[in-house]
Amino acid sequence: MKRRSFLKGSIAAGAAGAGLAAGILTPNMAFADDVADNPFKAKSVDEVLKMLGASGAESSDKIKIKAPEIAENGAVVPVGITSEIPGTTEIISITAKNPTPLAARYTFGEGAVPAIKSRFKMGKTTDVIAVVKAGDKYYTAKKEVKVTKGGCGG
Amino acid sequence: MAKSTIKLRTKEKGGKIQVKALITHPMETGLRKDKKTGKKIPEHYITKVVVEANGKPVLTADWSGSISKNPFLSFSYAGSKDDTVKLTWTDNTGKSDSIEKKVGEK
Repeated sequence: MKRRSFLKGSIAAGAAGAGLAAGILTPNMAFADDVADNPFKAKSVDEVLKMLGASGAESSDKIKIKAPEIAENGAVVPVGITSEIPGTTEIISITAKNPTPLAARYTFGEGAVPAIKSRFKMGKTTDVIAVVKAGDKYYTAKKEVKVTKGGCGG
Repeated sequence: MAKSTIKLRTKEKGGKIQVKALITHPMETGLRKDKKTGKKIPEHYITKVVVEANGKPVLTADWSGSISKNPFLSFSYAGSKDDTVKLTWTDNTGKSDSIEKKVGEK
């Protein structure tokens, strides 16, 4: 087992090295953004919020999260997020305890009602965090979903 | 013709168009392992969904592997029943599909 984890580690290190090399080879910052600063690849909620520039998001009761309190099957959890904040342009959904917490980002065009419904995967009991962008400010709300059977991993 | 990967339903209600879509897609996170071989199943998920009404984008969704398999999406926008709604998705392997329908068309 030790040898196996060692192998895994070295592969990961190799991949990271390759990533670095790629970074050096592409001076184009916008392109590098895609690899290094992609919030979808971030591993923690704090990182995600930081990358989105939403660290200081204010909590708001005008964001409604509709999700089951107990989800029997974490592979398919219906979640609805509605924002009643005027001028909402973005709804970001974060599943706190997933390996990559940022689940989805919805950007609304003109005339769209800032409310979405989708189905998410949840590995285990987790907080669903909704971040709403209205104007230049971010607002947030969260709700816990208890998962009895995980949706990630086989 | 191959069957579309997208099922799109639109309905007009009080000046708002409700859009419901169901996309057939495996949405692999890249973290799941094949039970038989123990190998990781490569990630394969939709990264972008764009919904346009009469050519103007009304919703852009950036997705990750945390969205369920065969994803479902529902939202509404202010529009009229003469609108044409178009939905396009693109996944991380560069594949994409789109569908265009008049409001109310089945």
